[in-house]
Amino acid sequence: MNRFRPDFSDDPAVELNGVSLRYDTADDVLSDINIRLKPGSFTFLTGASGAGKSSLLKLLYLALAPTAGDIRLFGQRTGMLKRKQLSAIRRRIGVVFQDFRLLEHLTAFENVALPLRVAGQKEAAYRTEVVDLLRWVGLGERLNARPPQLSGGEQQRVAIARALINKPDLLIADEPTGNVDPDMARRIFRLFQELNRRLDTTIIIATHDMHIIREFESPVLRLQHGILVEDVEFQGA
Amino acid sequence: MSKPTPLLPESDAREAALFFVVAALCFLAVLAALTARGTYTAAKAWSAQVEGQMTVRLMDTDRRGADEAAAIVRGLYGVESASVLSQAEMEALLAPSFGPGGIPEGVPLPLLIAVETMASAPADAETVSSALKAAGFNAVAEAHATYAAEARRALGTLRVAAIGVVVLLTATAIAVIAFATHAALLARKDIVDVLHLAGAEDSFIAHLFERRFWILGLKAGAAGSVSALAVTAMIVFSARSAGSQSQLLPQLSLDFWDLLILAITPVAAGLAARWAARGTVTHSLRATL
Repeated sequence: MNRFRPDFSDDPAVELNGVSLRYDTADDVLSDINIRLKPGSFTFLTGASGAGKSSLLKLLYLALAPTAGDIRLFGQRTGMLKRKQLSAIRRRIGVVFQDFRLLEHLTAFENVALPLRVAGQKEAAYRTEVVDLLRWVGLGERLNARPPQLSGGEQQRVAIARALINKPDLLIADEPTGNVDPDMARRIFRLFQELNRRLDTTIIIATHDMHIIREFESPVLRLQHGILVEDVEFQGA
Repeated sequence: MSKPTPLLPESDAREAALFFVVAALCFLAVLAALTARGTYTAAKAWSAQVEGQMTVRLMDTDRRGADEAAAIVRGLYGVESASVLSQAEMEALLAPSFGPGGIPEGVPLPLLIAVETMASAPADAETVSSALKAAGFNAVAEAHATYAAEARRALGTLRVAAIGVVVLLTATAIAVIAFATHAALLARKDIVDVLHLAGAEDSFIAHLFERRFWILGLKAGAAGSVSALAVTAMIVFSARSAGSQSQLLPQLSLDFWDLLILAITPVAAGLAARWAARGTVTHSLRATL
């Protein structure tokens, strides 16, 4: 099997060198992964269920540590960082999940403002910014709605707004359109594309939706049984 | 601008149960402390009173001889007062043994001299006996301090037992709160994960739980403290109103120390809850990346 080693730039936003991951005593979920993503790139990550997409993303948004190899985010080796420094790196990363992971007791406004609240900012300082962002994702009229009062598409847009509020350097989305209809999926991907163009945010999206991948002409990384393989639809940088 | 919604949802049924457990533990701790302190104070006052007393038993003499003996005792250094007990005083003293009918005719009774010694330099029983024997009296003096020593030993044991009970209850409360915090953390794992991914530091997340359990501990401690005060007062007042004259009944005076116990318990419960919550959350978070 060919090992795929894309090399986009000398100064990557994301760099994985020989990364492997194993849960407990089971076999490797990811094996010898090597990736370099330049700042401002827009990349799809695909593969069959169980190929290791979510595990790879968990390594990138620092929910897991690799069992072998090293990860560099924004030039920093994450394995060498202290807990406070890891928290600071997490604040530079926005994450969007298939199941949204919104806090149900908070309003749409409060969910989006969460990363700013965590960073110690007061509402007076961020109110306009949060309202503008919710308007941008088309939820200007739903500020005070709680997640159970929102549709799947609306919840996903709140989750996207939450991931973007800190103006992250890296946006990671794990099957972000898995719970929305095809039209909404297309709208969400256009949001990501616009964000990538306007703010030069590095974006990596895990999806198995080949129609979307074909429609949005971007580089594709494909995982197969935990190994990164070259994909026929890879377009280059 | 409205007040932001707390990041941890409002309390649930688990926290109501925890509130009850912490309040009950605080109730028992305060009850133990107040009862032990009240009993100790009462017993200390009783033993202080008894320690300054002595009884002289005179044989083979009459009332006039007894008055002379009392005068000799009064003249000894370290004696405050000495007086021969009257027939009425003797009967009152022996009433628990003979009942309300009084002392039967023909029962030979010794003459007794009640002696109060000086607090600063009390005369001992040996000196009093020797002085009376030298004056030709057949007399035996007994200091009440001999009986008080037994009470003092019992009080010491009581105090250690009370401290032990309070320490045990405090440790139990901390363990229960740590367990409850861990359960709450697991129940709120979704929130903790989202906060973590949003870049929250361990101290930020721990603070949310600390604040929640600090308030719970304060309220539960106050409830337990006030309940214990009410129950202690009820026990003492019902015993007193039933006519018990025992000086060993706990004395609920609500002095500075009693008030301090009542005031300190909610704060201690709150601090214990806060400390247990912080330790549990920090420990759990450190197990993650």
